[in-house]
Amino acid sequence: MSKNLSALSGRKGLEQGLFEQLGKLGETDGTPDPEQLEQLAQSFLIGTANTYGAATFYDFLRPENKGKQVYICNGSACLNAGTQFDVREQLSRVFPPDSIGEMCCLGRCHENSAFHYAGANYSGDAIENIESIVRGGSEVADHYRVTSIGQAILTQTDFPLEACTTAIQQVLQSNPENLLADIQRSGLRGRGGAGFPIGQKLAFCRQAEGDPKFIICNADEGDPGAYSDRYLLEHQPHRLLLGMLIAGYVTGAEWGVLYIRAEYPEAIRRVDQAIKDFYHSGLAGDKMLESGFGFRFKTIHARGAYICGEETALINSIEGQRPEVRVRPPYPAQSGLFGKPTVVNNVETLAALPTILLQGGSYYASIGTPASPGTKLLSLDGHFQKPGIYEVEMGTPLEAVINDAGGFRIPVKALHIGGPLGGLVPAQKFRTLTIDFESFTQAGFLLGHASILAIPHTMPLINYLADLFRFAAHESCGKCFPCRLGTKRAEELFTRAATGEQQIDPVLLDDLLFTLESGSLCAHGGGIPLPVRNAIQYFRQELEPFFKSETNYSDVSHS
Amino acid sequence: MLVTPKENKRPIPEPLNGTMAYIDGKPYAYEKGETMLQFIRRHLGSQLVPTLCDAPNLDPFGSCRVCSIEVATNASGPRKVVASCHTPLAPGMHLFPSSQKVQRLRKNILELVLTDHPLDCLTCEVNGNCELQHVAAQVGIREVRYPAGAQHTDRPKDLSHPYMVSDLSKCINCYRCVRACDEVQGQFVLTMAGRGFDAHIVKGADKQFLESDCVSCGACAQACPTSAISDVFQSKAILATSKTRTVCTYCGVGCNLEVATRGDHEILSIRAPYDAEVNHGHTCLKGRYAFQFYNHPERLRHPLIKRNGQFEEVTWEEAYHFITERLQAYLSDYGADAIAGISSSRCTNEENYLMQKFIRAVVGTNNIDGCARVCHSPTALGMQRTFGTGAATNSVEDLNHTNCILVIGANPTDAHPVTGARMKQKTMQGVTTIVIDPRETELAKYAHYHLQLRPGTNVAVLNMMMYFIVQEGLVDQQFIDQRTEGFQSFADALLNLDMDAMEAVSGVPRALVREAAIAYASAPNAMSFHGLGVTEHSQGTFTVMQIAELAMLTGNIGRPGVGVNPLRGQNNVQGSADMGVQPHQGAGYLDITREDVRNRYESYYGVELPRHVGYKIPEMFDAALQGKLKAIWIIGEDVVQTDPNTQKVIRALESIDLVVVQELFMTETAKYADVVLPASSFLEKSGTFTNGERRVQRVNQVIDPLPGTKPDGQIIAEVMQRMGYPQPDYSAPAVLEEIAGIVPFFAGIRWEELGTNGKQWPVSPDGVDSKIIHVESFKRGKGRFEFHGFEESRERSEFEKDYPYILTTNRELEHYNCGAMTRRTKNVEILTEDFLLIHPEDAVIHGIDTGDMVCVESPRGKVDIKAKLTHEVNPGVLSTTFHFPEIMVNNITSDVHDSEAKCPEYKVVSVRIRKSKGKYRQTVPV
Repeated sequence: MSKNLSALSGRKGLEQGLFEQLGKLGETDGTPDPEQLEQLAQSFLIGTANTYGAATFYDFLRPENKGKQVYICNGSACLNAGTQFDVREQLSRVFPPDSIGEMCCLGRCHENSAFHYAGANYSGDAIENIESIVRGGSEVADHYRVTSIGQAILTQTDFPLEACTTAIQQVLQSNPENLLADIQRSGLRGRGGAGFPIGQKLAFCRQAEGDPKFIICNADEGDPGAYSDRYLLEHQPHRLLLGMLIAGYVTGAEWGVLYIRAEYPEAIRRVDQAIKDFYHSGLAGDKMLESGFGFRFKTIHARGAYICGEETALINSIEGQRPEVRVRPPYPAQSGLFGKPTVVNNVETLAALPTILLQGGSYYASIGTPASPGTKLLSLDGHFQKPGIYEVEMGTPLEAVINDAGGFRIPVKALHIGGPLGGLVPAQKFRTLTIDFESFTQAGFLLGHASILAIPHTMPLINYLADLFRFAAHESCGKCFPCRLGTKRAEELFTRAATGEQQIDPVLLDDLLFTLESGSLCAHGGGIPLPVRNAIQYFRQELEPFFKSETNYSDVSHS
Repeated sequence: MLVTPKENKRPIPEPLNGTMAYIDGKPYAYEKGETMLQFIRRHLGSQLVPTLCDAPNLDPFGSCRVCSIEVATNASGPRKVVASCHTPLAPGMHLFPSSQKVQRLRKNILELVLTDHPLDCLTCEVNGNCELQHVAAQVGIREVRYPAGAQHTDRPKDLSHPYMVSDLSKCINCYRCVRACDEVQGQFVLTMAGRGFDAHIVKGADKQFLESDCVSCGACAQACPTSAISDVFQSKAILATSKTRTVCTYCGVGCNLEVATRGDHEILSIRAPYDAEVNHGHTCLKGRYAFQFYNHPERLRHPLIKRNGQFEEVTWEEAYHFITERLQAYLSDYGADAIAGISSSRCTNEENYLMQKFIRAVVGTNNIDGCARVCHSPTALGMQRTFGTGAATNSVEDLNHTNCILVIGANPTDAHPVTGARMKQKTMQGVTTIVIDPRETELAKYAHYHLQLRPGTNVAVLNMMMYFIVQEGLVDQQFIDQRTEGFQSFADALLNLDMDAMEAVSGVPRALVREAAIAYASAPNAMSFHGLGVTEHSQGTFTVMQIAELAMLTGNIGRPGVGVNPLRGQNNVQGSADMGVQPHQGAGYLDITREDVRNRYESYYGVELPRHVGYKIPEMFDAALQGKLKAIWIIGEDVVQTDPNTQKVIRALESIDLVVVQELFMTETAKYADVVLPASSFLEKSGTFTNGERRVQRVNQVIDPLPGTKPDGQIIAEVMQRMGYPQPDYSAPAVLEEIAGIVPFFAGIRWEELGTNGKQWPVSPDGVDSKIIHVESFKRGKGRFEFHGFEESRERSEFEKDYPYILTTNRELEHYNCGAMTRRTKNVEILTEDFLLIHPEDAVIHGIDTGDMVCVESPRGKVDIKAKLTHEVNPGVLSTTFHFPEIMVNNITSDVHDSEAKCPEYKVVSVRIRKSKGKYRQTVPV
């Protein structure tokens, strides 16, 4: 993070933003050429080093991406389903091997065999028709179950534009202080994983001095196995924009920025359309509905970096800097995008705000548990009988969800809940957990963003863990020493163990996990040891052969 | 997703009550705004908590995590691990900087670092001075337990650059180089590329140092904790037998340098001390790397006397005898006024003081002048007229307190690089910046307003600015009423100006001038800086007065972040004028025509002093051409290469009987000498330099004088003695003591009390110095408004018709003035020649492309220069430098001088151009 780069990028602002222009330069060949990088740098009065350094960070801008035409999803659900090999085989019939890249993950976890071609995603049986897809055949529809257990809030039908108009009129007539108080009353906590109360964040931003202020919707749903935000972006865009507008109104922000991952092209299209419709209907722009309040929307197309889901990395990304994690303080609410007060919230959190506006904070607080009010979306993968998006009231037993989904297609030994940094829940714990922040934390797991991946009995955990660290090392931003070096060494240790090359020294692993947990700058390095420790605790027998025997390896299960 | 901050989830920790925080249970005084690391270091020193990514002049970054400590809100409460470098401290907190847990953490982080670092310390350049090595030992690493894995220890070295080298296999990814390039220099050459384990440092888009935009400031090399980025001098190696702190000899910024030496004769390398108030651990490629001239084979090592057109080596006594015999003869035959001296702003205060004393008290004339004549004499005169003192009102430090920076006719990122870099930092971070300059300088690119005026029209543009300030009612009436005089008639004259005419004359749209004027006038604190683009004009003194008036008009005087701040050119040009190197004022700016002043000087010097004002430098040349000057003594000033109208200067020198030149090298001027005396460089002597913010700093001898040379002060003292004056043997402290007795604003300056950061004059007798002057009242009482309208330079009105282009001269970063020193360092490999900047539209008309030779012809002569097409200059304007004697640009510069101070108008030269074959590359008389 560089204050100078923030300021210089901020001089040109969002409309012709550095990152957006950088991204466009890579669209033709998969990576920008050096001359373009130099010109872009000059127009922003920064160094070519800066545009080059940023471009080389992203999967879909780095030089290695040159000439890639098609991308296979390498997310955990596709891994567990074992479909990636077959997809690659099929693609190889049509594409030269070096034009096939990887993406993680396309959010088609409900039916797997996912790949990305020419700005669209495909999954399920689509690969059978790869030739016709390449010939310009029809897009393959994406179907999954959307249901609710208890109150449906986020899975109700999206607001039509007329309803948006009415809602915005209500916003504009309300006192921002009162509306903010109502949001605080709702107890709504961030759905990205950390569970921080959004009301408090909005209040900090409202109090902060600086102009303009920004509301950023973090739509970089990078957790392999998660697709609930994708659902909201594609099917509830009005609800989301309305939520951002409410956040803008109570903080005095002028801009709503949606940072949407490149792996979700359909989401980008639908949100862009919704924004267009909002502008058309006078629901966004300078003086909305002839009021004094103005609010604009802007989508930013991400370019492939998991770490951009971390809010400060995301802000760096939008500014066109390398998306590395910033130190805190300052917090984004004080000094965020271009050094201005900024609120960053997850899609699901912002999408809950219209309900609070229309039905009141007390109503929202009455749903769920006192500590975790409201509902939560769960993404269930293809190992469930009925995969899809499940909206549950906080506090709903995990087992009730499994039952509602009809159980599993094949025997499952664990659920990986809450993304790669979430806990690995063994089958014997399914009965004990309820879907809320507290239940998971107390049991030594993490609710996180609540993606639910099933790990079948047939999947060797040592391979799963090796893949987890491959992912962690690939997605480490590289700024802090523990994560940059530690995830790589862990990947090496587990890969060698999985291939039988070398057993893991349990003392060394414990030191390494401890170093990641307590030394990392952000939750990427800090969080990755959790599922490993869970695995070692609950699957001792399966993993024991991969550890050197002289020391008791179960020491590693606790820090 | 969904990664969220692990630590400090609460945005702003509520401050706890109390004035103490605790380290391992013991209370220590809390200070607001400190990080935990700063707190621990303030109380318990820097060794307790090891760090790798932290550096004294960089913002906390939090990448290495080695500074992690445990913290709790009460003694026995739950603890958490945080990085102390970027976590703010709250009162009442308990810190545990050495708990078992953090010791384990540090050791494990270091072990990880060593899994990707070559383990060949014994052969490494920085062995014994490597921060990684030090911290690894400190945390007690014995072995690396990880099986061999992926590594980056085979990265190729970059040896492309004359100074900078990199061996990135030694890199630990601490980002200190990247941050130094960004936060200190603001150049953005370095970045991390790739990500995660493959993240690695690159220059530009993965270029070599030499191909990149690197300005060779060396901030990255100094910042690097290992030898991943270093310099050819191996400045981090432990080869030195001693280190000496001294002050840079180049520009007026006055950077402190730490010079590493081996033995009494060899300089190894130079670093910038972090505790230097002037440069905070930074300096430029001249200060840091351009020192190799010191023992260059071409250094003069013997006194020389020209006989039959040839220089012959002689002994010092022969040379002294030759000189004194002649001087005595001229004194008796023609009188003292047939002798003149030009002192050097590169020399110390003590030497300058002694030189003017020699000329005044021993020779008996006021014919003493210095290079300030050709640079900032209008500043000294103009500011004296308006304020009463010809020096900067504030300090560079004030950039931290200002809301608006106005830069007029200065290119600080090239000519005053450390101050320039600080300005650029402020500008990038949003401090409103206005640049008035005919060229699009580096700073102008970043500035919020660039008034790109036609060269020579400063007076018009500044009058426009003041017109709009008065018209908009943005004047500080209270300040004007209480502290100034002459405002009403001044304002009346302003408001009578025809803005259409001024706009047409200057070429700057009035709307832009108005906006800039409003920005300056409405800033709570506005600060101006100016350079030779103000002074080297026919209306130079008037422009300085306008800048001073602009400050008075808006009340920007007498507090932090405001004022009028000339960017003094040479390291000691401020000091040389302070010391009396001027024909009309003695040491301390006292008027030598006043009897009381003369009596005062006479009582110190013990002789009767001349009563009338002496020659200014251009007048010396005129006098020489009229046969009135028989001898001239020039110290460290290459008037042939750097004064305007070279051929006239040469003719003048040729018509003087005795030309004595005291020099390091056989300069263009020395070639015309009758006697050349080999002097010692700044590295070989002690004394004081006064920088552009009136800071008197100690110059400390680093090595013995080069055999055969003598410090300038010693030479002058020995000549004074041989001329029969009872001058004691030369000693800088003794001369400084004499100065403190004579110069009022030096009253409290004591050699042994100057410390490492010096003192800013005026220094009161009790030793208290002054960062800001004119706080309560002006030196002259009331500040004076005096209107002057724009007048076209004679250079244009006479010659524009036949010579339609305007050539203006400037400086490049890599070289210093005539380049006598920098051309004898590897700087010459970075910038090899002078270029002519020309706008592409003009180039097309003459069929000129970049690299072509262009014949530039003025009414004085012609030179051939290589063209460089650029949008830095407007059509009709050309620009070049005079660093190289191969070009001798001053063959064509003008004879016009500032009407008041006689400073030459280097900045406006009427020329015509054509593509050429390079015939006039060598000097050609008209």
